[in-house]
Amino acid sequence: MSDELLVVRAQLGEWAAWAELVARWRVPVWTYVRRMLDAERADDVTQEIWLAVVRGLPGLREPGRFAPWLFTIARRSVTDRLRGEYAREKESLTTDEALVEDPVQAMADRAELIAALAGLPVLEREILVLFYLEDLSVEECAQICHVPPGTVKSRLNRARRMLREHLEERGYRP
Amino acid sequence: MTEEGPRLSARDMIERLEPSLSPWRRVRAVAALLAGLAGVVFVTALWWSEPGPLPGRTHLAFALLTVFCLAWAGYGTWLLTRRVPLFATDRVIAGWIALSVSLVTTAGLAGIAVQRDAGLGTALGVGGGFVAAALVLVVRAHARRAELLRRRRELTGGEQA
Repeated sequence: MSDELLVVRAQLGEWAAWAELVARWRVPVWTYVRRMLDAERADDVTQEIWLAVVRGLPGLREPGRFAPWLFTIARRSVTDRLRGEYAREKESLTTDEALVEDPVQAMADRAELIAALAGLPVLEREILVLFYLEDLSVEECAQICHVPPGTVKSRLNRARRMLREHLEERGYRP
Repeated sequence: MTEEGPRLSARDMIERLEPSLSPWRRVRAVAALLAGLAGVVFVTALWWSEPGPLPGRTHLAFALLTVFCLAWAGYGTWLLTRRVPLFATDRVIAGWIALSVSLVTTAGLAGIAVQRDAGLGTALGVGGGFVAAALVLVVRAHARRAELLRRRRELTGGEQA
């Protein structure tokens, strides 16, 4: 059953559709939250996100765009917790002209990637999680992060470079 | 390295969401809002149309009753806007309840006005406003539900094909 059908049924108030929606998206939401926050806060924030989803779903006008809407809510809860870190980060768009070879595609070990992500600043970590771990498109990432697609691409490029440097420091050779 | 996972199972999560998804909480919210609003209108109508000068204690009693009803209406509004989601089917039911309460309130107001032989126009005007607002809610709720049901049919048909 497609996400859109599940969302439409949940908007009509069908209990079974809610249970299925939670079962389907529980782990992806938690994965995003856990990659952005520590283990202590991840479960509480995930629950807070689901409460916001329950309250906000009747107003969702495009059921087909559930995933970006869900992650927009998730991001709001995460940024509330990391307000200081987000405020400190400055976008440096001028230094990223050269395209960086993708270190993530070459990584076979997901655990290694997850460990490496923890060492990156929030903006770069967030974009890698959304793009690679959640399989969202550049346009969806742009909608979630409230930035133009061009900024997502440059952020992704910078994040790949930082990840690569980080991995090399740790002695990882793809 | 072992990958960790969420501590809450899907069943735990649904259980924690249950208060927000509970139909009784939605009924309570709609009932509090409508009873509060109808109460405010009734008490105010009685207060204003009371013949002759009223003693201070009666004014105080009417004022307290009005505040009490306003508090219930405020509580219902807060629940519906901040705590309890109304899904498409709930909105249709809530709309019809609102329409029934508005009609009963209008009939009550008109009854008071006829009995006291004053303010029938005002009573019908206020009641009519409530009925019109409830009608708009009913029409919009039906349209939204019909739109979702149509989409569900399209998507189900597409999946079965």
